[in-house]
Parts: sequence; C-alpha cells; structure tokens
Amino acid sequence: MSLAYLLRRLGTLLLVLFGVSLVTFAIIPLLPGSPARVTLGVQATPEAVATLERQMGLDRPLPVQYVSWIGGIITRGDFGTSLISRQPIRGEVTRRLPATITLALVALAIGLAIAIPAGYVSALKPGSARDLGVSVMSQLGVSVPDFWMGILLILLFSETLGWLPSSGYRPLSDGFVPWGRHVLLPAATVGIISGSIMARFVRSALLEVLGQDYVRTAHAKGVPRRTVLRKHVMRNAAISIVTIVGLQMATLLSAVVVVEIIFAWPGLGQLALTATLQRDYPALQAAVLLAAVTFTVVNLLTDLSYTFLDPRISYA
Amino acid sequence: MTRIRTLALALGLALTGLAAAQTSGGTLVAAWEQEPVGLDPHITSARSSYQVLENVLDTLITLDAEQNLVPSLAHAWTVADDGLSVTFELREGVRFSNGTEFTSQHVVTVFERLLDPETGSGNAWRMAGVTSIDAPDATTVVLTLDAPNPSLLGHLASSNALAIFDPVGVEDGSINTRPIGTGPFMISDYQPGTRVLLERNPHYWEDGLPYLDAVDIRIIGDETVRRSALVTGDIDWAFSIPPQAVEELDARDDVLVDRAAAGAYYYIGVNTAEGPLADERVRRAIAFAINRDNIAAAAEFGNAQVTQDPIPPSSAWNFGYAPYGYDPERARELLAEAGFADGFEMEIMPTSFIEATIRAAQVIQADLAAVGIRASIRTLEWAEWLQEQGDGNYDTFVCSWNGLIDPDDFFYAQHRTGEVFNFTGYSNPTVDELLDEARMLPEFDARRPLYEQINRTIVDEAPYIYLYNPLEIHAYAPDVMGFAARADQAVRFVTTWLDR
Repeated sequence: MSLAYLLRRLGTLLLVLFGVSLVTFAIIPLLPGSPARVTLGVQATPEAVATLERQMGLDRPLPVQYVSWIGGIITRGDFGTSLISRQPIRGEVTRRLPATITLALVALAIGLAIAIPAGYVSALKPGSARDLGVSVMSQLGVSVPDFWMGILLILLFSETLGWLPSSGYRPLSDGFVPWGRHVLLPAATVGIISGSIMARFVRSALLEVLGQDYVRTAHAKGVPRRTVLRKHVMRNAAISIVTIVGLQMATLLSAVVVVEIIFAWPGLGQLALTATLQRDYPALQAAVLLAAVTFTVVNLLTDLSYTFLDPRISYA
Repeated sequence: MTRIRTLALALGLALTGLAAAQTSGGTLVAAWEQEPVGLDPHITSARSSYQVLENVLDTLITLDAEQNLVPSLAHAWTVADDGLSVTFELREGVRFSNGTEFTSQHVVTVFERLLDPETGSGNAWRMAGVTSIDAPDATTVVLTLDAPNPSLLGHLASSNALAIFDPVGVEDGSINTRPIGTGPFMISDYQPGTRVLLERNPHYWEDGLPYLDAVDIRIIGDETVRRSALVTGDIDWAFSIPPQAVEELDARDDVLVDRAAAGAYYYIGVNTAEGPLADERVRRAIAFAINRDNIAAAAEFGNAQVTQDPIPPSSAWNFGYAPYGYDPERARELLAEAGFADGFEMEIMPTSFIEATIRAAQVIQADLAAVGIRASIRTLEWAEWLQEQGDGNYDTFVCSWNGLIDPDDFFYAQHRTGEVFNFTGYSNPTVDELLDEARMLPEFDARRPLYEQINRTIVDEAPYIYLYNPLEIHAYAPDVMGFAARADQAVRFVTTWLDR
C-alpha cells in the first residue's frame, strides 16, 4: 500500500465529511419548530422567541452560522455551545464518547461471538437440522425490533431473575464488575440482533468458499478436515466477513441510538435524539458529524485490512 | 377498591412515620421521565426543570399541602388596600448554598432580570402589572404595580420561575446548569440527558432539614424500563409511571403508588378563526359528541376525573358546570342547525410528548365519526407541535394546563382577546370585561360570581372543550418516608427520609 493511496483516501474522506457537514447544517434547521420555542414551551410569546433566537445566534444568515461553526471545529476542535444547556458541546461529546464506544465494541464482540460459530456450524452441513435451527434463530433475531428485545431482556434478567441492573452506565474506572453488569444487557440487545444478521452472511461466505476447487483439491490430497477449514476456508472467507462487519457498523450505530434511549445509557445516540427533539442544532450537527466520521473511518479501515488478510490485494 | 387500599396504606405510612424517628442520611435515587430543558428558572418552561429547581431554590412565599399561602423566604407579606403594592418582610440569616448571605437586593436583581425583555423570559407574564421592585432595607422588598394582579401571590408561591437565586450565576453563565439557591439541596453535578445530583445544602435555613444527604436524579425516558427499575430497586422513586401499570403496581407490596388530585386539566383547543369550527354550534356539537368517560379510560387508564369545566373539585373555585352529557343525537342536531348535517372534515393534533393526548385523540376521532365528523389525527413531536400551535396551523389540538391555582390562571391568558396563550383566537368582549373586573377584586365572595359567569360562558361557547382533571401520580419504594404527591404537582424532597 502506497502513501499516495493513503493520502488519496484520506482526502476523499475529508471531502465526504465536508459534504456531510454542509448537508446536515443546511437540513437540520429546516425541521419544523425551533430551540427557542422548545425552551419557552407553551409560554412562548413572539417577543421572547425573537430575543432567545437572537441570544442563540439563530438570527444570523445561515452561511455566516456555518462558517463560524465549521471554523470553530477546524481551528479549535470547538463544536459550539448547546442551545439548550448552554454548555460546550465538545465536553458533552467527550463525556459521552466512551460510553458509546464501549457499548458498540461489546455489542460487536457479542455479535461476532454469535455470528461466527452459528454461521460456521450451519455452513458445514447445509440443509441439516442444525442449519435449520440456526436459520430460524437468525430469522427471529432479525425480526425482533431492538427496543422490544431490550425490554424483554430487562424483564427477564433484571426483573424476573434479578441478575443485572435494568438501566444506567458505569465507567470502567468504577471497576470491571459494575461496568460489565451495566453494559451486558444493552450490548446483548444490539449484539443479538446484529449477530443474527451477520450469522447469515458468515454462513453464505463460508458456503461459497467451501464450494471452491481448491477446497475440494485440499480434501482430495488428504489434508485433514480441520486444517482445510482453518487454513483454506476460514482464511479465505475472512475478507467477506470483515466486509460484512464493516457494513454492519451502520446498523450497529443506529441500533445503539435506540438501545441507549431504552437503557438510559449516556452516549452519543441519546445526545442525538435529545438534540433532535429539543432542536438543539449544534449538538445534533456534532452527533451527525461524529457518526459520519465513525462510519467513513471504519470503511477505510475495512478496506485497508484487506491487504493484510489477502496479500494479493495491494493498493497503488 | 384500589383507592381505599392506597388510603389505608397512606394512613399506615403516616402512623409509622409518626412512630419511627426520622433518620438523616442516605441517597434517594429518583427517576425523571424527561430531562431538564436547561435550569435557568427564567428561561425554561419544562416541568422536568422546575421540579429539580423546586428542591434547590426557594420562593418568597409558598403553598402548604392544602394549597394555603405560607411563608418561605419572606416571613410576612402585606398587600396594599388598593392592590397596587405588595410588601415582603424577609427572613434573616438565610444563606445561599455558596455561603453568600441572602438580602432584599438579590430579590430586586432577580425579579428585574425576569421582567427585562432582553432576558427573553416566557415567564414575565406571571408578574404582570409589576412596574418596580424596591428594597428599602436589607430585609424588605416592595413590589409596585400599575394594576392589581390577583394571581401574583399565587404565582410567587407556586412558580419556580419566580424563585430566588444568587445572581452571580447570571454573570458567569452557570445559571443554566447550576443555579445557586437557598433551598434544601444544591446541584453538585449536572450531566445533560443523564443525571442531576442534588446534595444537601449545608447552609439551609430550616434546622435539621433536609434529612437526605443527596438526591440522585437519573433520566429514564422509557416508561417500561422506569417501572422495571422501580420494581427491581435500581431506583427508589419514580416521577411518573405508565398509567397502564398503576393497577399492577398498586397491588404490589414493594411499591407504593401515591396519588393526588392535580390542579390541571386536559382539553381540546379549538381554532375558532375560520371554517366550520368558527361556528359555536359546531364546537358545542363536538362537546356533546365525545364520551369523556371513554376518553379518560383510554388516555389515563381511569386515573382521572372527567370534567366539563377547568377548575378541579379540590379547589374552592370549582363550579361543577356540566351542560354536556354524552349525547350524539344532540350533536347531530347542532351540526344540522349549523348547516353541516353531512359532517365535515377536520384534524386533531395531539403530541407524542404527552402520550395521553394521542390516546385521547383516538377516542375523540371515533366519537366524532359517529356523528359524521371525519377527523384525522396528526401526531407531532413537541417542537413541531409548539410551532404549529403558535402559528395557528391546526383545527383542534389536545393538551393540558398544569399548576394553576387562582381562577385568573384558568381563564385570563387563555381566553382574553389577544392574550399570550389565547391560541384559539377566541374573543368575547363580555368575557374580556368580566376577566378585567374579576382580577381587580380582592375578595373571594365578590370574585366568585364573576368567575362563575366566565366559566359558564367559556364552557358554553367552547373554545376549549374540557375533558378531565388528571391525578398526580408518583410511585416509590415503601421505605421512602415523608414524601407526598401534591395538588400543585410540586415534587419536594425536603422532608423525605429513608427508613432503612
């Protein structure tokens, strides 16, 4: 992989992010309703709305607002001030980022822990009872809405069994056990769903490789079955699986939003929803921009990982 | 039956409360359903914000559990005979939670900020008529008015928008996240969307209070999860519980459901500006067509008292005027008289912010269909709903008014021609005159007949079609002592303690 390629990719990434920033900035204020009205509620008099909008800087032309916003981000990493809490958004984002990353990573781990074994066992004997069982489970997992899955898990593991807390977040610095107890249910909610989706992709990726000539040849020349599976099948399916995981990030991120709301999880998804409902434009723009950054960076990393997984692939 | 049980429980609780000594200490974990929308008392309008402030700031006067005016930061007050000035004698030796001594000058600064148009407060109307705020000495505050405002004392006692804070927070900008008050608790941590931590105010002026060391307020938006958190003991106290869960929770030993008749009402607001709804007969037809019992059953799962006028039975100002029985036949006659024998099309605008309004709208829609009115439902989230209501882009909406005390609160701003919250466009010169006259009169006996007439006219002409008075419902662990649901919907933890 050449440096030029990497720079080109980074350049495209910045261009995409610039586009995203422009579009979100232009679209978000088009939402009906205004932060001033939300703050003032049913008591909003036209005078008070006008005064608050002036204080919030919303009376300035949109291009002026955009330049001051994007300028702040580029020069100082300053995402502006929340229109509702009047606190710097950067602090808010840095406070919430670890919670969301924790949730997403644990959810991804749970998802993979489900998807890979499930896809593996069903791909080895397609059409068998095991395969059917995995298909049914995976169909169920895909069909269950995330919010409902979350509530079911709470009813079972918190209310009925009393094993895990029903909501809330503890940072890892509070200790592994409290952290783990809090993260398990929300991460499992996302993980079960994305694991179910990924299991089907893993299955078809493995099936495709299993049907390849080189696999048959390997079997024919007497390579032990386990070695065939490990060295030829899994390794060759890895690229498809990594691609799926990369693409799943988008689904994962949107599931995380819903799950954060249900489990009162103080992450960026919750920030995005609250900001939307309260028309807190800069907070929402920051959340959207961060989601875009995450997604594009994950995509880039996925692409770059191909060169490691398959030495034949190289980017010039 | 459930009511009797609750009463027995409450009585038992009161007795054990007397028997067991209050113990100090401990943290109450409380769950709010909505997060505060900023904590600047002058700017916010959210109940979620005001009920945090209720425990942090004090007002000059306040309301006791029976809704009588009682001293708070002011130990005495006098209203001039002509109603054009009110003098407050302030309590001495009171300190803000940051140690600063509280004086009359703080009151002047705070109220002047509220009234300053540059502040952009939506609450200035609560002090309507006040032209100047003076502090002749450190413990006296005089409010001067250009016209009597009978609601003023009620607002000063009940609205946290008129509470006193240390103005130092305005200069450094902390007013919106950590306003500093003289109340029993102080805000020691505020993480928007997640948590507000209240800790005992070491300088609180009432000896021995509060009992709790801290109140840890978490935001749990999902009602099912909030219920689970309460049942599993993850939280001790819930701001609200889903109405459909009230009966089930009532039957449990590990949760106490606490109710009070609230000074609030749900209603249909009707846009009287144009179209069929501009015709009073059509509005009356709607009032006859709807089955309020079914609406209350669907919207609040029966945790409400149906009503046809706004002021609840718990108030001395209740009139109990109920001219509309559920009468679809009469509704059809009125529609025919108005020239809409074949009905017409209209829209109902509930908001997802208050789920009860959606359920109410669904019953209303079905009831209206039965008399030929083809209603569609347009559910909006809060920000858009406020915009559409403010711009008059609706036929009818469903909403509630909360925390009203004086009869003036129930009618003036909502129904007087051109007033701030008159979103229906209703205008009746006779009602305007009566409203102006009634707010000038000091005596209950003199005011009551005027408000009775106002109440009758508004119910008859139906710019608002009243549905029900809700109950204020909180739920908490049985070892949470010294808390009670209140008619004014205030959430006060000052005398709360944990029996554990």
